[in-house]
Amino acid sequence: MGLFAGCGDQHPSPRFALNKKTLELDKIAREPIVKALQENFGEPNRLIAWQKFPFDYGVADPKAADASRHEAGWRLKEGRELYMRHCLHCHGVSGDGDGPTARFLNPRPRDYRAGVFKFTSTLSGLKPSHDDLKRTLQNGIPGTTMPSFIVLEKGPGNEENLDLIVDYVRWLSARGELELKLVSELAAMGGRKSEIEQRVAEGKKGESSDTLESIMADLKKSIADGFADALQESASDLADSWARVEQPESVVRPKVKRTRPDQESIKRGRAIFLSKEAKCADCHGPAGLGNGSLTEDFWDIPNTNPVQKYKRPGLHDAWGEPQMPRNLTSGVYRGGRRPVDLYRRVFAGIKGTQMPAFGTVLNDAQIWDVVNYAMSLPFHGEQSPYPEEAPEAAPAKKVASSQH
Amino acid sequence: MRKAWSLFFLAAAVVAVAACWAAPGMHWWFPQKSPGGHAVSPLGNQIDDLFYLILVITSVTFIGTQAMLAFVLWKYEAAPGRRSAFTHGSHSLEVIWSVVPAGIMLFIALYQMDVWARYRIQSRFDPYAFEHPIAEVTARQFEWRIRYPAPGKTLQAKPQPDDLYTVNDFHIPLGRPVMFQLRSDDVLHSFFLPHHRVKQDAVPGMTIPVWFESTQTGEFELVCAELCGWGHYKMRGQITAQREEEFQEYLKKLSQSQFDDGVLAANAAGAQQAPAGEEKP
Repeated sequence: MGLFAGCGDQHPSPRFALNKKTLELDKIAREPIVKALQENFGEPNRLIAWQKFPFDYGVADPKAADASRHEAGWRLKEGRELYMRHCLHCHGVSGDGDGPTARFLNPRPRDYRAGVFKFTSTLSGLKPSHDDLKRTLQNGIPGTTMPSFIVLEKGPGNEENLDLIVDYVRWLSARGELELKLVSELAAMGGRKSEIEQRVAEGKKGESSDTLESIMADLKKSIADGFADALQESASDLADSWARVEQPESVVRPKVKRTRPDQESIKRGRAIFLSKEAKCADCHGPAGLGNGSLTEDFWDIPNTNPVQKYKRPGLHDAWGEPQMPRNLTSGVYRGGRRPVDLYRRVFAGIKGTQMPAFGTVLNDAQIWDVVNYAMSLPFHGEQSPYPEEAPEAAPAKKVASSQH
Repeated sequence: MRKAWSLFFLAAAVVAVAACWAAPGMHWWFPQKSPGGHAVSPLGNQIDDLFYLILVITSVTFIGTQAMLAFVLWKYEAAPGRRSAFTHGSHSLEVIWSVVPAGIMLFIALYQMDVWARYRIQSRFDPYAFEHPIAEVTARQFEWRIRYPAPGKTLQAKPQPDDLYTVNDFHIPLGRPVMFQLRSDDVLHSFFLPHHRVKQDAVPGMTIPVWFESTQTGEFELVCAELCGWGHYKMRGQITAQREEEFQEYLKKLSQSQFDDGVLAANAAGAQQAPAGEEKP
């Protein structure tokens, strides 16, 4: 009987975990952040739809056949149900990329809280659009452990499922990123534990007039004076950045049609790839194998003082994970294999990684040459097809089947 | 009271038989999609026939042995004063119950051979389907990746520049046998189409030709039938059976979207002449 003692309604209700960086703050500095998150986002079982953000939380529809839609915020709730069932075990309750299976996966599942997503159609430095995230859900990310979830939107009544998940993920990301922004605000107000300890020690040595009481009084005053504004400003900035990417001008669109991928274009692309200006080969290697010279250097960890270096040689991404420049000969395209996908990777770079944006360095024709070269690499220089010259569909063959 | 036990065991057997008897009519055996719960492929219907044949044979055997068991329980129940009789067995009975089941097994083994051969023996595959596999399906933790040859071309073992790719979304033409090559990227998976009664393991390192034919348009489930890891449950796809013209149209659209260069149609005309590096519209 003891076996069943743990079951039933004794499960602790799920909670959004605090970021490690929040835990580096002193208790007094942590409090307003916890309170702001509680008041504006709630907990998984008590979601709060903050109208500041441009997400569609679901307008109450009293006439809907589905009773769950009678209340406002139903989209957020349904998104949560789907997220909890399909995404949580890798991406975690709070979207920190640290669910129960995450430790077995390479590469690690995305931590949404940085607000950075790699495969987007948007300009350099911008968030992904709703459709970008949906595309990732539909196609999965080949070469990683992110599978395709396209089946979730099949069948009557399921058409919107992926949109619901995307909106919940964007909301989670906004929550996590706001937390990080507030942490840096409070760190600037002197709320870090380590900093307070250091100042107290200096005060004791007589190097300054600080005492624990005076420091805390200052911190409390700064919070009382500045936190409310900081919260509103940070949230507004975030909301703007998510709203902005839905504007057509945020989307990277080639102005020039793709150059015919003939041997001339491939040759030009190769020259750019190897050139000193574009430096593609520094990371991707002269043969595109992803083994350029920069992958053998030891790199500095950003924002460390004194400067520390990563223990492993090679590039690292914004999440501090080792990052391999893509082996272009493998024919695996994480962000999609359409020519426009490759164009966007070159034009706007890959967010959160060392792949820079070349949109200001190369013109459209040059980018298309590089794309044509990259697309020819898995096939030893053979050209990829050009849409207008794609062969016509074969006439349907009538087959004599003698077997039955 | 003691007799009640023989009745109890008899009742259990009767319930089991009744449930089996009712099952086909209630559509308990097979997934539903077509009227009558039939398989949506010709070979699938033959497999169902085999299933029912074996069900009948095992039911008759089951009813016989259960009736005998209940009879023995009833008649030879322990009673005060009765003494057990010991026997060293009956040679002729043992021969009978060895030879009869062996004969039945042999019959099943021979009778099913044709269906098995049609499903598995490559020389029995439809020659056109065998020469023209419609796709390569690669199982991977936890999804099905599909590679079609470009419209009008034949699938090659190695990826080609104009191949078309989808994931978890497998379209097939209707009304003719279609064959695909099944592979696995990582561990054992099993390609399972419940409505078509197709099940084939995907084995790492092997390329396995699998054929089937759909007799009904529509969407059908594709699932993994081999526990392949923690995400096994989410390894689901969808098969869409379409008329030949619609299938060819689908491939053409797929090709167009896969080689999309993202230039807006409105900007396409005259865009060639636009000086590079010009401001975005």
